[in-house]
Amino acid sequence: MFKLDLYKLITTSVALVLSSTLLYGGSDTSTLPGKYVSKMGAVDGGVTYPRKNGIYTAYRYNEQSTKGVNFGRLPTANELKAWDVDIMPDGTGLPDGEGSVSEGDELYEKQCSSCHGEFGAGGKGYPTLTGGNQEKLPNGVIKTLTNQRIEPGMEAPKRTIGTYWPKASTLIWYIRDAMPYAHPKSLSNNEIYAITAYLLAQDAIVIDGVEMDDEYVLNKEKLMKIKMPNENGFYPNIDGPNGVENVRKFFSDRAKNIGSGTRCMKDCKDLSTKGNEPTVMKIDNEITDVVPPYTTVRDLPPEIESKLESKAEKMYNDACKLCHGSDKMGAPVVGDIEAWNKVTQKGFEKVVHNAIDGMGGMPPKGGFENFTNSEVQMIVEFMINSSKKKQ
Amino acid sequence: MDKAFKTEELNSLSRRDFFKKTASVSAVAAAAILSPSSLFADDENIVHHTQWGTTLGNELNENPYGLPSKYEHNVVRRTSSLMSSAGDMHAAVSMTPLHELEGIITPNGLHFTRTHNGIAQIDPNKYRLMIHGLVEKPIVLTLEQLKRYPSESRIHFLECPSNGAGEWKGPQFNSLQFLKGMMSASEWSGVRLKTILDELGLKPTAKWMLAEGSDGSEMGRSVPVEKALDDAMIVWAQNGEALRPEQGYPVRLLLPGWEANLCVKWLKRLEFSDKPWYAKEETSKYTALMPSGKAIQHFYALEVNSVITSPCPEKPWSDLVGGELVEIEGLAWSGHGTITNVDISLDGGKNWVEAKLKGLVLPKSWTRFSYMHKYVKEPLLLQSRAVDDSKNVQPTVNQEKAIMGVEGVYHRNSICTWEVTLKGEVNNVQVRSI
Repeated sequence: MFKLDLYKLITTSVALVLSSTLLYGGSDTSTLPGKYVSKMGAVDGGVTYPRKNGIYTAYRYNEQSTKGVNFGRLPTANELKAWDVDIMPDGTGLPDGEGSVSEGDELYEKQCSSCHGEFGAGGKGYPTLTGGNQEKLPNGVIKTLTNQRIEPGMEAPKRTIGTYWPKASTLIWYIRDAMPYAHPKSLSNNEIYAITAYLLAQDAIVIDGVEMDDEYVLNKEKLMKIKMPNENGFYPNIDGPNGVENVRKFFSDRAKNIGSGTRCMKDCKDLSTKGNEPTVMKIDNEITDVVPPYTTVRDLPPEIESKLESKAEKMYNDACKLCHGSDKMGAPVVGDIEAWNKVTQKGFEKVVHNAIDGMGGMPPKGGFENFTNSEVQMIVEFMINSSKKKQ
Repeated sequence: MDKAFKTEELNSLSRRDFFKKTASVSAVAAAAILSPSSLFADDENIVHHTQWGTTLGNELNENPYGLPSKYEHNVVRRTSSLMSSAGDMHAAVSMTPLHELEGIITPNGLHFTRTHNGIAQIDPNKYRLMIHGLVEKPIVLTLEQLKRYPSESRIHFLECPSNGAGEWKGPQFNSLQFLKGMMSASEWSGVRLKTILDELGLKPTAKWMLAEGSDGSEMGRSVPVEKALDDAMIVWAQNGEALRPEQGYPVRLLLPGWEANLCVKWLKRLEFSDKPWYAKEETSKYTALMPSGKAIQHFYALEVNSVITSPCPEKPWSDLVGGELVEIEGLAWSGHGTITNVDISLDGGKNWVEAKLKGLVLPKSWTRFSYMHKYVKEPLLLQSRAVDDSKNVQPTVNQEKAIMGVEGVYHRNSICTWEVTLKGEVNNVQVRSI
């Protein structure tokens, strides 16, 4: 099959002259497998390949007409209403509703801070949402985004909502669909406006000349007026009728815009040649935190212990591990004997009580309000038992 | 053979190494290939019956799906807490063991995996796909209905644009799996998107397509309609079987050569519009911050790239003694087109020789290259450099850095360097000025 396809494999250089002529077998070494008729100018800067006479690069394709292949049905109005809920920068899809900065503050504390830190400032291993210096250079670029950590001591550019995100619509869309992380799509429209308002207020976003104080109430109309500080920080320009063409133009000049190599074969000089020897950078601090650990040994696997997961363990894994599995979250880590000794000093009853009512950064029942009290007790038992000294 | 010598040697070398060493350094040994020899110790794996040759094997359908040999249990995806949030493995990435792969296809279980909200477990009976917006005839499909469309199969790589992102400021992992393992390749089967769109009737004003996933993160990306009408596919199978849940079961979008993030998994909805959407993953993430302080957005295709897979840190040359003719092998790929050439350097990029491509050479697909090398026990700086039919040449670290800086995170495709030490160990290093 592939041999037949070879007949169509012709070089780009002769593509215009020869459309389907057999070239294979000639002395021209460029008529090798893998050289196809191609056309420059794709939107991504690359080539496209024609489909002709049932041949598409090395593949044959079905030339029969597919006109009239028709499965599925029209969506109903309610189905469209349920799924066509994306939110665009022009306000398309923005839900009705409103929420204040102070309402958002309260919600954020309960729903978001355990991962994203106080005020969205990060530090818990999950994305930092707010902060960073929005100060601009004379050309309108946010200064800290030009930071390059090549020199030691240089701070990383901070890509937060305030310093980086180009559109406020993205924020409200993502919060509604994908947050809170463990319970996506659980917030009401008023709640998502409130949390969005709170986050924007942390970054001192000004809406239509008005600063967002605690009482500020965000709604659809106000959100559409927001201009984000880094709105102009991205290129190529994808907006307007020339958006796609701007992208094509940008990626057609890859050497200038994203960098390219040169095909030197002998005595090549690169910036990294000191005298005649290449300068080699070795691994400074090797990252070895790898799971499972590196090995290429071919032996029999270790005896697999009968690993029957208890109901409590399963619920722990699904619900609690997110925070109690890592010391980054500030919650006592399961398996940390010392930490759990401290916890259990309060007495089992009290620990269960705290788990049900919530404490510190942990919402009631860890946010899993559908858990019964006895299930929570069972999980707490599991967590305590897993954090005892092994006999 | 002198027994004392034999014992002493075997203390420091494995039996296999001993044979290799003897065979390659001894002229007498070379002659021994021709006639039965009394020079070597007998290999008990040959002179005695094996355990598996003298017992009844396992029943044929013991594993109705089939499993790799138990001895292959270390050939697995690996991850690192560095590639997650606080060690949480719901939004994280795991890497393909490239050092253990052959050819241009990744076994489904070893396909690299990136999720933003865990691996969605979709009931195929409840799966629905909606295509709407600027089309004459919007549509909803069940999985069975979707699979009624005429299918095509294509071999393509998928690569996360963060592949090697940890290495912008210098080498970090001494491992091929972690340097380049955020990519895999499969034969994908499904329907060409254009086949469906021809039937639905795209309106002339449609310029952009939103692809949206149905997982908890509702992953969304904007795609120019041009790509949707070229080689984009809606796929439901990889390497002959249903997509794995990790790869978007039951249905994902495939945009050959483009960021794997754009190839939205657990695909739920395609909407057509005259405007792009500004989804979270195309604004706050998957944009490349440049030294100017501005960022490249809509950075679609993965650039021409290559890496030597043998030797590599996991598969070094420390068993070689010198004098062997050994294959330098690797993978080259480009999201812009088809690989046309791969060059090899043994001296850190000063001088280059052309390697040979081997096997299938397909567009937007992994391509194998090979160079036969007469190994001399001496330090080397091994590099490979790929060229594609879009006139892309893989850049050096310096060439890439001069434009991209070091804070862009995404789309790193500069030349990789393996340092081969005097002992034949292989280390990940970079040839660069700063």
